[in-house]
Amino acid sequence: MSTQIGNLDQDKLLQIYYQMNLIREFEMEIEKQFMRGKLYGTMHLCIGQEGTAVGAIAALEPEDKITSTHRGHGLSIAKETDINLMMAELYGKATGISKGKGGSMHLADLDVGNLGANGILGAGQAHAVGAALTSKMRDLGYVVITFFGDGASNEGAVHESMNLAAVWELPVIFFCENNQYGMSGSVKDMTKIENIADRAVAYGMPGHIVNGSDVLEVMKVTQQAVERARKGEGPTLIEAKTYRWKGHSKSDPKKYRTSDEEKEWIDERDPIVLFRNKLIEDGVLNEEQEKKILQKVKKAIEGAVEFAEDSPEPSIESLEEDVYA
Amino acid sequence: MREITFQQAIRESMSQEMRENELVYLMGEDIGVYGGAFGVTNGMIGEFGKERIRDTPISEIGFTGAAVGSAITGMRPIVEIQFSDFLLVTIDQLVNQAAKMRYMFGGKGKVPMVLRTPNGSGLGFAAQHSQSLEAWLAHIPGLKVVQPSTPYDAKGLLKAAMDEDNTVVFFEHKMLYGMKGEVPEEAYSIPLGKADVKREGQDVTIIATSIMVQRSLEAAVQLESEGISCEVIDPRTLLPLDEETIIESVKKTGRAVVVHEAVKRGGFGGEIASVIQESEAFDYLDAPIQRLGGRFIPIPYNPELEKNSVPQVADIIEGVKATIYRS
Amino acid sequence: MANEVFMPKLGASMESGTILQWFKEEGESISEGEMLFEVMTDKVNIEIEADSTGVLLKKLYEVNDEVPVNQVIAYIGQKTEDVEGLMKESLEDERDKTPNDNKEDHNLMPFKEREKIRATPAARKQARDYQIELNEIVGTGPRGRIQLDDVKEFVNKLEPDVKVTPLATKIAKAEQINLDEIKGSGVQGKIMSEDVRPQRSRVGEERREERIQMKGIRKVISQRMIESAFTAPHATITTEVDMSAIKEMRQELLPRIEEQIGERISYTEIIMKAVGLMLKKHRIINSSLQDDYIILHPNVNIGLAVAAPDGLVVPVIKECDQRGLTELTEVTKGVTRLARENKLNLDQMSGSTFTISNLGMYAIDAFSPIINQPESAILGVGRILEKPVGVAGTIVLRPMMALSLSFDHRIIDGAPAAAFLTELKETLEKPIVMLA
Repeated sequence: MSTQIGNLDQDKLLQIYYQMNLIREFEMEIEKQFMRGKLYGTMHLCIGQEGTAVGAIAALEPEDKITSTHRGHGLSIAKETDINLMMAELYGKATGISKGKGGSMHLADLDVGNLGANGILGAGQAHAVGAALTSKMRDLGYVVITFFGDGASNEGAVHESMNLAAVWELPVIFFCENNQYGMSGSVKDMTKIENIADRAVAYGMPGHIVNGSDVLEVMKVTQQAVERARKGEGPTLIEAKTYRWKGHSKSDPKKYRTSDEEKEWIDERDPIVLFRNKLIEDGVLNEEQEKKILQKVKKAIEGAVEFAEDSPEPSIESLEEDVYA
Repeated sequence: MREITFQQAIRESMSQEMRENELVYLMGEDIGVYGGAFGVTNGMIGEFGKERIRDTPISEIGFTGAAVGSAITGMRPIVEIQFSDFLLVTIDQLVNQAAKMRYMFGGKGKVPMVLRTPNGSGLGFAAQHSQSLEAWLAHIPGLKVVQPSTPYDAKGLLKAAMDEDNTVVFFEHKMLYGMKGEVPEEAYSIPLGKADVKREGQDVTIIATSIMVQRSLEAAVQLESEGISCEVIDPRTLLPLDEETIIESVKKTGRAVVVHEAVKRGGFGGEIASVIQESEAFDYLDAPIQRLGGRFIPIPYNPELEKNSVPQVADIIEGVKATIYRS
Repeated sequence: MANEVFMPKLGASMESGTILQWFKEEGESISEGEMLFEVMTDKVNIEIEADSTGVLLKKLYEVNDEVPVNQVIAYIGQKTEDVEGLMKESLEDERDKTPNDNKEDHNLMPFKEREKIRATPAARKQARDYQIELNEIVGTGPRGRIQLDDVKEFVNKLEPDVKVTPLATKIAKAEQINLDEIKGSGVQGKIMSEDVRPQRSRVGEERREERIQMKGIRKVISQRMIESAFTAPHATITTEVDMSAIKEMRQELLPRIEEQIGERISYTEIIMKAVGLMLKKHRIINSSLQDDYIILHPNVNIGLAVAAPDGLVVPVIKECDQRGLTELTEVTKGVTRLARENKLNLDQMSGSTFTISNLGMYAIDAFSPIINQPESAILGVGRILEKPVGVAGTIVLRPMMALSLSFDHRIIDGAPAAAFLTELKETLEKPIVMLA
């Protein structure tokens, strides 16, 4: 049995497979809990986009950083934030990663290099430029991937950030998860060009398009960009074509798209199924291993829910804490 | 003591800090060889180089956001926004990002950034380059807002701002840049949130900010000759606000006049007036609190119109007299 | 539900009334029709009956309080009722009624309870600290606002009164001396023992003065006199009238009129008749000054000064020029009697255009009467006395009477006043011309 695909060994491949499943199960679990009234506010699920999150972040070293998005649970998990703390945060508990004050849209974990999901589109790209500037000015060697969607790609701040990163040759990867819709707006209606990646040329950086359903392809393209950034050659724009299976948020009836379209992406382009098939085909994964991995995922999710549910609510006294450093 | 200008005091404060702390750098439009629109960074690129005196493209939201990103990853950026009116272009990064990150992240991370910006009217720059928008920012939890009125305060307050682990918006009035005053050569810090009694008096307390401190002092001299003794208080920082000094003074005088250049309606003067009347000073008030501020108009171009759109010395004198029912 | 008792509007011009007395105390029962309180307007005192039966739950005003008409002044109801709640409601009603009525009249300031007192926080605190009621203090700030200095001044005025040395206090107590009346000779007017000692010898020897509070009709008279004396420049001219003809005429009319109406005609009515005719002719004397206009009155309504028990009242006899002497006598006697009994109604006291003050029953020859504003002149009538007068070269005794005309020199010059008085004299000396 081969234990390698390209230069990736079995451990790494199974880790990727585990993370993709962990993201999907986590999302399905919180959707369930949300509908049971356990969670508050809203949430943006990234089921169907596991390939982009895990593929891109798999190309990073632990010291590298990301900025995340409002649809960022998968990115947090891929950057290895403790899912207990994530789950507790979604439950609004004191033990949450942000002590129950940030919630789904502001998941951050500075310790693992996640500079934060953002409720304001385009803001995170500028932060990534700044974080990359720190890396460059202090010669820290880390790179930054900043994730954004096809919707945010039209924000002025994104363009300003790409220009800044390019002109200062900063180690940033602008990673566009093109999931086809900005809320209800189809990318076809909101953007004249076929590929967001084409914009790279306007800022003097390379642009790549990648199939977001192919986690290994995503990883490979990202690795090239990371390498370039680390060498001080500046930023890259990557556009991964992907699809969110669920609505924009929990209140979205998805009237703006057809079930045929959804069916095609779900049945034929599920990144987890495609990756699983490849792993089995290449002899990296057998049924027993798969069972074990899925068991581990299930246990982790159950543990996270239990941790969140057993955690205390934040005290009212904590209300005014942490406004200022 | 040696005298230098307000503008020199700011440059000296930054230069001294940058020599001490390599994490501090400066970013903004035309701050390098050009020296900044008002010459504040003149010559700094020669000493610190273009990495640390970083000229930016004209993209305020982009480079302000970059400053936030670099601050949260350990740098201590100073951002020069060419005119405070352009703060509105950066407002997402200031209000939604810098001010809120620490809270949203559950107390993790900090954004030690100083955003310096020239504000105010008086130079004929008209409606989009002459505003005083400090109240907008003083409304935002997570920010600190500073408005120096003298070269001495400018140097010391900027040092404190650079030492802050929070985002500080530092307003420099354009008309004050040329003002000379005694400034010590060594670095020193004036704590944020400490008001300064610029002149002691008995009859009326004038609480003035930025250039209005100077105009109030001028008014106080004239009023003195008419037998009216004014105490002039400069809060120096709006956020945090030194409420105690204001309240104590009003308890002493029983009368308060609040003066700022910003448009009166919704201006910070309303906040100060409320602080007074909500405090124990209420029982000492012997006249309604007077608020003086800019008229409810965009700043006009014509010099006479421009002058008439914001409080002048005569307006302050009139305001003070109104609290003691004299004309 | 409790019934509100209002300050009644007793005449078209009445804007407020002063409560002279309450006939019932809070908690006392009262029946509909029973007298509840007495009110004084600027013209009349009237006792007001209760218009419902129950218990007088609450009096909102004290004696001597001046209250605008239609203001609730008391509540009558059942013992258990919540008056406080009602009072709140009524206050709100009032606010609803007059949302735009922001008349800031200084004269209204002393109205207690309902009137909001304007005072700065500093003034309020000082007043609280010294336990002073703000309504005792006159505000000098904008729109009568009480300032800190006003309170301080008030306190300064108060304090010397209470500053007494212990020894002086002891002496005063032993000798029952009222310290309020002593002027202290010490620092800041402090009362020293020597200030009360000389007083000691006087106590018992001299009668104490009696103090009568200026209130009720006395206060009204006082105000009106001041107003008249100090706004209208008075000039008084006098003349003497030979009353021989009138005397004769009265003797003839007396029995006839008495037979008809049972009243005795007096000189007053005859003089009124003559004056009435003269005023019709000399219209400037029958006028009023209103702002920049002199109003010449179409009617001749003569007020007659009458000494009522509480003071001067002036009943009005309307259209004197139109009435015959019989009618004039009947009407005049009637209102004069009512006046002496304090029973005039407001109408009987309103609308005079000229006043006659007759002191002929006393040993008064001539005097300077004060004009009853807003009239422009007043006639003072003296006694009739036999005096030697020269007639056609010989001295004879004639019943002479002095007439004094005070007139408002703003409106009336000396000449027209003199012309009026001269023609009046001639008319009285030859009453037959009245028929002309």
